[in-house]
Amino acid sequence: MSTPKKYVDYVGMFKAAAFCSLLLIIGTVVMYFTKGINYGVDFRGGVEVQVKFKEKVALSELRDLMNEKKVALSQLQSIGDESQNEFLLKLETDKGDLNAVSTQVSTVLNEKYGENSYEILKNDIVGPKAGAELRTSAFKALAWAILAIMIYLALRFDYKFAPGAIAALIHDVTIIIGAFILTQKEFSLQIVAALLAIIGYSVNDTVVIYDRVREIEVSHPGLSTAETVNRALNETMSRTIITSMTVLGVSLVMLFLGGSVIHDFFFAMTIGVILGVYSTIFIAIPMTVIYEKLVAKKAA
Amino acid sequence: MAKGWWFRFSFLAALVIGALMAVTPTFLNLKDDSSFPVKSKINLGLDLQGGLYMVLGIDFNKVYRDEVTGYARKTIATLKDIGIEATLGTLNTSDAKDPKHSIVIAKESDLEAARAKLKEFYAYPLRLTAEEGTTLTYGLGREFTKEIEDTALSKSIEVIRNRIDEFGVTEPEIVSQGSDRIVVQLPGVKDINRAKDLIGKTAKLEFKFVNDNIAPTALNEWLEKVKKAGIEYKKGERFSDYVRQINDTLRADLPAGNEIAFAKTVNKVTNDITNLEPYLVESTASLTGEELQEAVVRIDQQQNRPYVGLEFKPNGAKIFENITGANIGKRLAIVLDGNVYSAPVVQGRIAGGSAQITLGAGDYNATMTEARDLALVLRAGALPVELVFEEQRVVGPSLGADAIDKAQVAAAIGSLLVLAFMCFYYKLSGLIATVTIVLNVLFTIAILIGVGATLSLPGIAGIALTVGMAVDGNILIYERIREELAIGLTPFEAVRVGFEKAFWAIADANITTALAGICLLNFGTGPVRGFAVTLLIGICTTVYTSYFVSKVLFEMYVGNGERKKLSI
Repeated sequence: MSTPKKYVDYVGMFKAAAFCSLLLIIGTVVMYFTKGINYGVDFRGGVEVQVKFKEKVALSELRDLMNEKKVALSQLQSIGDESQNEFLLKLETDKGDLNAVSTQVSTVLNEKYGENSYEILKNDIVGPKAGAELRTSAFKALAWAILAIMIYLALRFDYKFAPGAIAALIHDVTIIIGAFILTQKEFSLQIVAALLAIIGYSVNDTVVIYDRVREIEVSHPGLSTAETVNRALNETMSRTIITSMTVLGVSLVMLFLGGSVIHDFFFAMTIGVILGVYSTIFIAIPMTVIYEKLVAKKAA
Repeated sequence: MAKGWWFRFSFLAALVIGALMAVTPTFLNLKDDSSFPVKSKINLGLDLQGGLYMVLGIDFNKVYRDEVTGYARKTIATLKDIGIEATLGTLNTSDAKDPKHSIVIAKESDLEAARAKLKEFYAYPLRLTAEEGTTLTYGLGREFTKEIEDTALSKSIEVIRNRIDEFGVTEPEIVSQGSDRIVVQLPGVKDINRAKDLIGKTAKLEFKFVNDNIAPTALNEWLEKVKKAGIEYKKGERFSDYVRQINDTLRADLPAGNEIAFAKTVNKVTNDITNLEPYLVESTASLTGEELQEAVVRIDQQQNRPYVGLEFKPNGAKIFENITGANIGKRLAIVLDGNVYSAPVVQGRIAGGSAQITLGAGDYNATMTEARDLALVLRAGALPVELVFEEQRVVGPSLGADAIDKAQVAAAIGSLLVLAFMCFYYKLSGLIATVTIVLNVLFTIAILIGVGATLSLPGIAGIALTVGMAVDGNILIYERIREELAIGLTPFEAVRVGFEKAFWAIADANITTALAGICLLNFGTGPVRGFAVTLLIGICTTVYTSYFVSKVLFEMYVGNGERKKLSI
């Protein structure tokens, strides 16, 4: 085995990294309780209508119209460039029939602009019960996925590897949710799919390095865990950099050129790819050493 | 070259040809009637092509209420048969999930006999929950409740499937989700209100007499005439329009007060109509589903043959008695939403409100299925299930088209960047990586088409992740080969050892991701599942292409070890 030219002590950086990560996680928790997640219609339940006008319509004009006709508007925003005349209407739906609320929008628009002056691009109606269930099922799926990964790692590798990997996954997911709270971007089912992709990617990253750790343990049995782990990280670093750069590159292209429908998805992916690499190198792998120390202390 | 190389290479070549054939109709946008042997195109999710998505919940509380009341009525009739007078008590719905109905026995001396009789006959559907003097209160039996739910669900799906023809949709999808949900997807449909009106209304059941005075040949001649007039049913059109057109065209030929209706056989997977059997029936119904109380499958103990037992409401029983008495020997067609389901012959005058439909002799299981289907149809018209619209999404076709266009361009640019980088960084070996990644995507799409899965936006995310992992698989191998070359192995040996050492890293990474994928498939809904499906397919193709395919190509490249230098 060739000795890498530049040997970096990643385990030694664990404290600094853990501090940064903790700050971000605490920040997320604080924001969760102060700002709150901007749940999309999938999770919140309610009505969302996306319209595109053929002629120019101003945002304020639309807002005034909806207020005048007593449409229970909770949020109105334009999508993409203003010249596209595309708007997203979110409707207040605490009370009454969601269908009626949704129809009201088209009635008002027909009255004012005529039936052929606009096109409904999207009209989502999610009942409050369905919303709550979608939310539980999505988070349940996430939790089970993490659990299954943990069990596999414990059985296939060693118990000492599982906590680090899981901590890294929870770390990644939490901070991405934090990014969504910070930017107040809509948290929807699509974003859950992105989180899942990130978990898949992050664990892929971690497993590859664990595999190397195990290999070094066999070929160099005398090394301490910290040395082994550092060596594995250093040896796989070129692969880590190249892989993450390519994935990040694709994610960035999709983010900027992919269009509004997938924009938020790749926003999450981009942050996730960066976080995934960071958490693998600075959290998941070094934690193996920390975990072992803790176990040794307990045994003593 | 290594042992078995030609075999592995031929296998790969066969897969590539198969996959190319599978994706051709999708990418060249071939018409359905082209001469190309493969027809199926990729199914695009509603978020990508526009259309209507609905989640309907079944209001079981109403179903329970109707059932418990129905059975209370029935027990009173049963008691009357053995000479015990009883009256209908009150319905208690304080627990909507477990409504209860009481029965009041007239004479206290009958109480014991009544209780015994009910225990004997209704132990399965009903359970005694309280007893106060001569008032017996019953709730639904636990197992029976489960059966009611299953029936209500399959019945609703059957009814919805019947109505899909009304939307002019070519690839509808109607599936149950859990025990109380139905997901309906109608690509291309925008008119949410019409769709909801049609789907949400209760099924219309009618009993109509068949006109058997007309010879079947005459019926066939009429249909030939219609065909010549150019009226034909095409998939995606409204079936009711087709039937109306036929009857309009034949107005002059048909006997007054008669019309043509069809019994259709539908393939439940593809929704294709596989057979149409014409019937000449009376235009007005002799009896409707409103008069029907219950329809259940029973077994004839003596002949060990299933049959369908019918119970009519008091008024319906009288009508039924009259019409059966007057039409002995005629066939009575059972018509649900305009379609004929069965046309049993009236054997004799049927009094008392209970009737049986015996089915043709034959294989027990086949008869049982037939009996169940018929009972389902009858109940669909007899016991209205209320569908609650829990979720609806309409995606306009232009949003879908725009999403595809932009995502396609971005994906193409992104992929080109990756492939260019691989070729630049790993030189000639990068070209091998490029080939395997392209094959990976090709195989994934081919399998998606093959299994008829739906590709939606989260599905594309799944493919994106797959490609990321495939690139990683290649990089893992290449970095290994470089390491081995660095310590002085020959290219032939370096390739062999590199693949060997990288194998478990690739396998472990993919297995962990696959485990996550399986969890998502099990516990997720809608988009999450779509993601999981493509991810799982992608993992299989990734392991195959980034390990096995690239190994075949590398073995071709290094040959039998005579190559001195590797471009990597």
